[in-house]
Amino acid sequence: MANMTALHRCSIATIMAIGLGILILNLTVGSLKPAAEIAWLDIGGEGGAALLSLMWTFFIFNSRPTGWVTRLLSSGLAFIFFSYWQDVLDEFIQLPASVNWDHWLESGTMPVGMILLTLGIYHWHREQQAINRQLLKRERIFREHRSFDALTPLSGAGYLREQLSRELQHPGRPVALIMLDLHCFDHSRRLLGGADSDRLLRELGEVLVLNLRQKDLLCRYAGDRFAVVLPATEYGAAENLRRELDQAANSFAFKTRRGETHAPTVHTGLAVSKDDDAQTLIDRANQQLLTTRPDQPRVA
Amino acid sequence: MKGYLADQPFIPAHHQPAELIDLIQDQGIDLNRLLRHTGLFHEQILSGEACFSPRTWLQLIHNARRLQPDPELSFRYGQRLFPGHYGSVSALLANAGNLGEALQVFRDFSRLILPLLGVRLTVTDKHVCLHWLPSTGYRSEHRFVVEAAMTALASVTRWLSETRLPWAFQFSYPQPGHPEHYEVYLGGPLHFDAHIDAMILPRQYLERPWPQASSTIRLPALRQCRQQLEGGSGDSLRLCLYRHLQKNLADAPSLPRVADLLRCSPATLKRRLKDEGCHFQQLLDEVRLHQAIHWFQFEGYSTEQVAKGLNFNDNTNFRRSFKRWAGVTPAMCLKQLVVGD
Repeated sequence: MANMTALHRCSIATIMAIGLGILILNLTVGSLKPAAEIAWLDIGGEGGAALLSLMWTFFIFNSRPTGWVTRLLSSGLAFIFFSYWQDVLDEFIQLPASVNWDHWLESGTMPVGMILLTLGIYHWHREQQAINRQLLKRERIFREHRSFDALTPLSGAGYLREQLSRELQHPGRPVALIMLDLHCFDHSRRLLGGADSDRLLRELGEVLVLNLRQKDLLCRYAGDRFAVVLPATEYGAAENLRRELDQAANSFAFKTRRGETHAPTVHTGLAVSKDDDAQTLIDRANQQLLTTRPDQPRVA
Repeated sequence: MKGYLADQPFIPAHHQPAELIDLIQDQGIDLNRLLRHTGLFHEQILSGEACFSPRTWLQLIHNARRLQPDPELSFRYGQRLFPGHYGSVSALLANAGNLGEALQVFRDFSRLILPLLGVRLTVTDKHVCLHWLPSTGYRSEHRFVVEAAMTALASVTRWLSETRLPWAFQFSYPQPGHPEHYEVYLGGPLHFDAHIDAMILPRQYLERPWPQASSTIRLPALRQCRQQLEGGSGDSLRLCLYRHLQKNLADAPSLPRVADLLRCSPATLKRRLKDEGCHFQQLLDEVRLHQAIHWFQFEGYSTEQVAKGLNFNDNTNFRRSFKRWAGVTPAMCLKQLVVGD
């Protein structure tokens, strides 16, 4: 995901070709102005605007997959660029009075670009809302893109501690924490290989998310251990959720790249806050997890 | 003393370093950025002829940590390290008949199995202690290397023994900001600021037979590993010197005497140590600190006995020196020990 630009090679080539076309058209029809007539301040201003709009186009290309929202945003910015580009060229090149397409190019493309960009931003906003709904159970209250871990699209232990501290600020409202890990993941990892075992963790994360309520939060604590924060939840309700997660994860039939089924087994630990801070609650849930876990690995 | 050197390129790039390269490449990071300042290129690695030296491997780790600043990286790397596909030494490790035989691989063949760290193995009536020692004086990535090595050993011994071994862990550095990885990947009691990087286990696990071992594979592999060392040491120069100092602590070894023994001038020895990133006095102090901790921890020595063993004439002097090495007094250190008698 480091670079999206490769996906948009055609669009970039088109924009460059049109820009170049405008330049050639100007040069063939018009003639260069003498140095004395060139207004450098205008060139600085218009040229800078042209350059910036081109840069924004590239940022859009670099950060987004293909699709019509991307096309709206980039073509909007491209039209704005064409308008400024013609503006800059006007400063260098004197066109004959009979020519009037340059006015169209200069003033006509700007509103078109603005309209396309506005449409693009509106749909981007809609798209973001859809993504937010998807992410709801994986990140709550605020977004910190640095807190995502490298392996799964979940937040890590740092974010878990932050969110737990936030929830624990309300006295009299118990917070439950479930810790969940895979039975002998180290063994499975050796049998499945690196890529499949990483995918197993990601997909298990998806399975867990599907079994949570809107207000719950799923994080990857470390390795194969997941943490679920259940805000304002009493022991009884938390125990039910723990059992449901346990069942859901235990009936998950993971498929390897070769299409074979690998059915993981999980262990869970539950702790409900009683004058805890984030760390003691995490420690208690971890302790509870360890007591439920048999120490002998299953022989493969 | 024929130990390997920090700048000697002998670690095939497609062996231990390859696992790290794969992990970073999985994140879609450009390989040539990862190889920056190592003097190696992608094509060379694929051809199977490229070799890292301990220092360029450390540079690779440095680059990897910069490109992927995830604190979990060392643990994930460690999990993938052993038994590995490193020729005879991997066969030797994978067919170890018990924990003792597995640990001997790390002690005797550091050059082949994990050239960044050597091992000091202590077996007492009650405990086994595997103490990790840096093979060179270049310690910029020490924490990463220790995290990876401990995860690797804990993981491979669990895999081969088919039981979760109840290791206790000691770390020379303070607790980092991400203890969760230590909890999940290592488990076990964790002791930070413990002056040594060591893994400790009750003695009874040492000789318990492991299920997968084959002596038909193991013995030829052992012979091949010995041949690969070509009469040289499995340890680095620094570790060879460490072991020499450790054996002769009672004689108060000095730079001229060690140089004499190695048949070189003190100036040459000094220069060779400098190339390895260490000084004689620093190494001697390290050996003495480690010996003191081992005596405290496993032999139940009193401060007086340790002072005497390290050739100190009076206790005050010993206490002062110990404080200089460890940053704490012997009494404070005794309180932090994992196994007391």
